[in-house]
Amino acid sequence: MVMRRFPRTVGSLQSIVSFVHEFLAERGIDPEHAHDADLVIEELFTNMVKYGGGQADIAIGLDADPARLTIELRDAGVEEWDVTQSAPVDVEAPLEQRRPGGLGLHLVKRVAENFRYAYRDRTSIVTVTTRLTP
Amino acid sequence: MFDIEIGTAGNVKLVGRLDAAEADRAQQIFRGFNHPLTADFSDLEYISSAGIAVLIETYKRLTAAGHAFRLTNMKPRVRNVFTYAGLDRLLQIE
Repeated sequence: MVMRRFPRTVGSLQSIVSFVHEFLAERGIDPEHAHDADLVIEELFTNMVKYGGGQADIAIGLDADPARLTIELRDAGVEEWDVTQSAPVDVEAPLEQRRPGGLGLHLVKRVAENFRYAYRDRTSIVTVTTRLTP
Repeated sequence: MFDIEIGTAGNVKLVGRLDAAEADRAQQIFRGFNHPLTADFSDLEYISSAGIAVLIETYKRLTAAGHAFRLTNMKPRVRNVFTYAGLDRLLQIE
């Protein structure tokens, strides 16, 4: 797995997209197929930035085969928070009842093939696999 | 990179990636529109929940004022995000 660390600010998103797309291009995979992966990484990363409570950079790891991408985010020095158990979003609710928040993790659950959480040594480790599709 | 190209007669074009890093700037621009609006998504490559939130706020504000807000020409991968969020039936997507 290729790992890189990013400062915990949404300003890192452009660098993260470049990291993901360069990783795929080096393996002959069209970065255009990475929309779901970009979405998963942004939603999990921004969630850690906003709510994780840590101070350290956030590590992102990537591993790929031709059909799918495995993504790992590691957030050190934080309390345990299993994001796979986040409250469901009622996507049938009318617009007037929609409130900000929660949609990002809902989108992760929607596009992920696998979505796992582990907590070791005060580090949250989130692992997701997504399909690489046109 | 994200940009909004402002045309005539309430037409705007969204260009690039509407992510969490660009959402605040997009929100400020959208809050300046107080008329019926048609947003062309044909050059929008990517949207996340942060971008969706900006569009929901704009939709609520404009429709409360009696104005239409039409979202047109989405790429399938962008439209999928609206579908996953259950918004494809609630917003005026054409």
